[in-house]
Amino acid sequence: MIRVENRFQKSAGAAQLGGPGSLAEAQYGTKLTGRPLVSIVDDDESVRESLPDLVRELGFTAQAFASAGEFLASDSASETECLILDIMMPGMSGPELQEELKRRRQHIPIVFITAQTGENLRRQMLAKGAVECLIKPFSDEALLDALNLALRTN
Amino acid sequence: MTGQLERLFGLFVPRGGVSLSDPGASIIDRPVERSIPDGSAPLRAILCEEDFRQRPSRPPDHERENQALVKLVSALADSPGTILQTLADTILEVTDSDSAGLSLLTKDCKTPHVDGQRFYWPAIAGKWSPHIGGGTPRDFGPCGDVLDCNATLLFTHWERRYPYLSRATPLAEEGLLVPFYVAGKAVGTIWAIMHSDRRRFDAEDDRVMASLGKFASSAYQALMHIEDLKFQMAEREKAEAEVRELACGLEARIRRLVAANVVGIVTFTLEGAIIEANDAFLKMVRYSREDLTSGRVRWKDLTPAEWRERDERAIANLRATGTFQPYEKEYFRKDGSRVPILLGGTFFEGSGNEGVAFILDLSLQKRAEEELRRSEAFLAEGQRLGQMGSFSWRVAQDEITWSEQLYRIYELETGVPVTSELIRTRVHPDDLTLYEKMIGQARNGSHDFEWQYRLLMPDHSIKYLQAVAHATRDQTGELEYIAVVQDVTARHLSEEAVDKARTDLAHVARVMSLGSLTASIAHELNQPLFGIVANASTCQRMLAAESPNIEGALATARRTIRDANRASEMIRRLRALYTRKEITIEPVNLNEAVEEVIALSLSGLQRNQVAVRTELAEDLPLIACDRVQLQQVILNLLRNGSDAMSAVDDRPRHLVIRTKRDEGDRVRLSVKDAGAGFDPQAAEKLFESFYTTKKDGMGIGLSVSRSIIESHRGRLWAELNDGPGATFSFSIPFGQERT
Repeated sequence: MIRVENRFQKSAGAAQLGGPGSLAEAQYGTKLTGRPLVSIVDDDESVRESLPDLVRELGFTAQAFASAGEFLASDSASETECLILDIMMPGMSGPELQEELKRRRQHIPIVFITAQTGENLRRQMLAKGAVECLIKPFSDEALLDALNLALRTN
Repeated sequence: MTGQLERLFGLFVPRGGVSLSDPGASIIDRPVERSIPDGSAPLRAILCEEDFRQRPSRPPDHERENQALVKLVSALADSPGTILQTLADTILEVTDSDSAGLSLLTKDCKTPHVDGQRFYWPAIAGKWSPHIGGGTPRDFGPCGDVLDCNATLLFTHWERRYPYLSRATPLAEEGLLVPFYVAGKAVGTIWAIMHSDRRRFDAEDDRVMASLGKFASSAYQALMHIEDLKFQMAEREKAEAEVRELACGLEARIRRLVAANVVGIVTFTLEGAIIEANDAFLKMVRYSREDLTSGRVRWKDLTPAEWRERDERAIANLRATGTFQPYEKEYFRKDGSRVPILLGGTFFEGSGNEGVAFILDLSLQKRAEEELRRSEAFLAEGQRLGQMGSFSWRVAQDEITWSEQLYRIYELETGVPVTSELIRTRVHPDDLTLYEKMIGQARNGSHDFEWQYRLLMPDHSIKYLQAVAHATRDQTGELEYIAVVQDVTARHLSEEAVDKARTDLAHVARVMSLGSLTASIAHELNQPLFGIVANASTCQRMLAAESPNIEGALATARRTIRDANRASEMIRRLRALYTRKEITIEPVNLNEAVEEVIALSLSGLQRNQVAVRTELAEDLPLIACDRVQLQQVILNLLRNGSDAMSAVDDRPRHLVIRTKRDEGDRVRLSVKDAGAGFDPQAAEKLFESFYTTKKDGMGIGLSVSRSIIESHRGRLWAELNDGPGATFSFSIPFGQERT
């Protein structure tokens, strides 16, 4: 009679399923190729679907996480050479994750991505130590430049 | 009394008679009074008091007298307008005189008055009949002498004292003048004149003239009863416009009453028998002529017990004075029902125990009185509702009477007979079915009712009317509605203006709340856009590689298409919410509406770190409502709940949206938050415009939401939860027309 849905849990759960860009494939890709690992943390499912494929096409290994907590809980944080991080997420936000990583002394170059507009936000993020802050939608070239910059920083 | 006499006078001017103001009709009109000319004879010289007393009196001619009485009562019954002329005729006959007539006092040379300065001659029979319309001065003439002495006087050659009478030819050898009383007041004389010595008046002439005069006086008073009512009506006329209309109707009724053969005449015995009666009387009591001739109809038997004592008094009066003052009583009809009547009568001289009585059926008058009461009802309603028209509707006869204002409202010519067909030509075509339904219900029921309908005028303008009808029963138990109708067009138009203002406000609220959501909407829209760009880039790269990844490219292309569809769907929803449309009532699936709103506000909710849980009942019927307005309310409630939890850090920010079927063919939606709740004292204030607890809010969201829900005949309310936070709910009927 009553259909009960918890939308956010469902969204988070979707990333666990198999398919292109899923966690399983991403991890497999890392080990086989030895290409630099780029981790993506975004609560939006379509980002987690599309971005890892693009990153791979750009010559990296990619893995996606639906939340900050999920990323921290994984053992791939130490292997990640660049973190693509959504600013606005339920639970721990992008900047909060950044703080948390600093606290854990894990220095991973971070490229923030956000749907929010504004040069202020970008300057703010750069000031806080981000490599780049990309405003969605962004081009593949912009992404590649940011990733290369991050790896150089590293 | 004065007013009545003045009015009476108007009624009794003989047809074709000459008005007093008409010069040249009589020699008596000239102003000759006041100065007594030199050489005038003293009053004593023109009176024959001694002579008159000593003259041998002829024996009474009862038969002739009775004939005269019958003639008088017939005149009263058939043509009251000629009663005075008939009196003159009968006096001429019973006294065997040359001329006979009547003088009535007049004050202003036009209407009769007890304090009048002139006598007016409204009716003359015999040789002096050309002098109808003439008269004599009050203080210098034979009539005045009679009133001064308050006695019958016999004059001889009065022109010796009153020279102006020498021009009234033929001259009077003898003139017998008897005072004429109405209700105990001498208002004139009746007189007989001999122009020769053919015969001399005697005491019998005095007696018979007085007797006829008494009867005529009684008849007068009977008619005055009616006049009295008319007079009262006239008084009301001055005061009340509504009553004036009714009074016209009543006056017409009285005229009809007077003109119609409704005066019953009976000859009776004191013992209780009815010897003879006219058809009018039989009709009144619903007996046949056979009943009468068989002797079954007795006035004593016709009289209800409670009226017997009054009858006794009348009979005592009759024995003492030969006549009795008219009084109201009742008779039984043959069928046992009662008829209200006015009864007056007189003895036949010399008969001992027989008399003649005239009987007026007062049913009509009683009805008229009822009309008066009804008119008061009209008035009371009128005062209550202000400027308006009114009508009465006798259902059985389908008789509709409109007030003048109602004619004006309907823009029809006053007095046009009102029929259902005529009304139908004005009722707005869209309201005709409703109108017919109301009429049908009214015809079969007997309850007060109220309804609103529209008129479509010939110039295509629309009038909004509100009617309140009160059901009554008239004396015969027939159903009758009395209704007031108010033109509420102006009020209606202003309501429409308020509605429009509310719609505008709702639009402002919508734009504002959406405006504040812009950031999250941009975010929401950017997600699929990003997906499109990312997928398309990936696709391009997969295909451009040395060994193209066709399978991967297909997958990304599929995702591109999906995200594009997702974006366009979002744009469609946004447009629907942003664009102000006229209100469109359509069947709406509440759950779908909820889903859409959640989809639009999801990222805003996420940003506030609010978790939304939905519990949507799957068996909900569709609701007839304006979808956009409804979503506006849902959006407001979501945002409200989300904002209420913005300061909450010690517990999950949970928002639960429930839909369910409510009692009484309604559906309910509730939004439960875990926020700060609200001050119970301010529970109702929440819904007032510009009441807000938020620093950046305008406080119109909830008030607009409530007005939207109420316009859907629903209810919006707020409750505090058992735990933290509040629940906002609305409940609206499904499948119902919107007010």
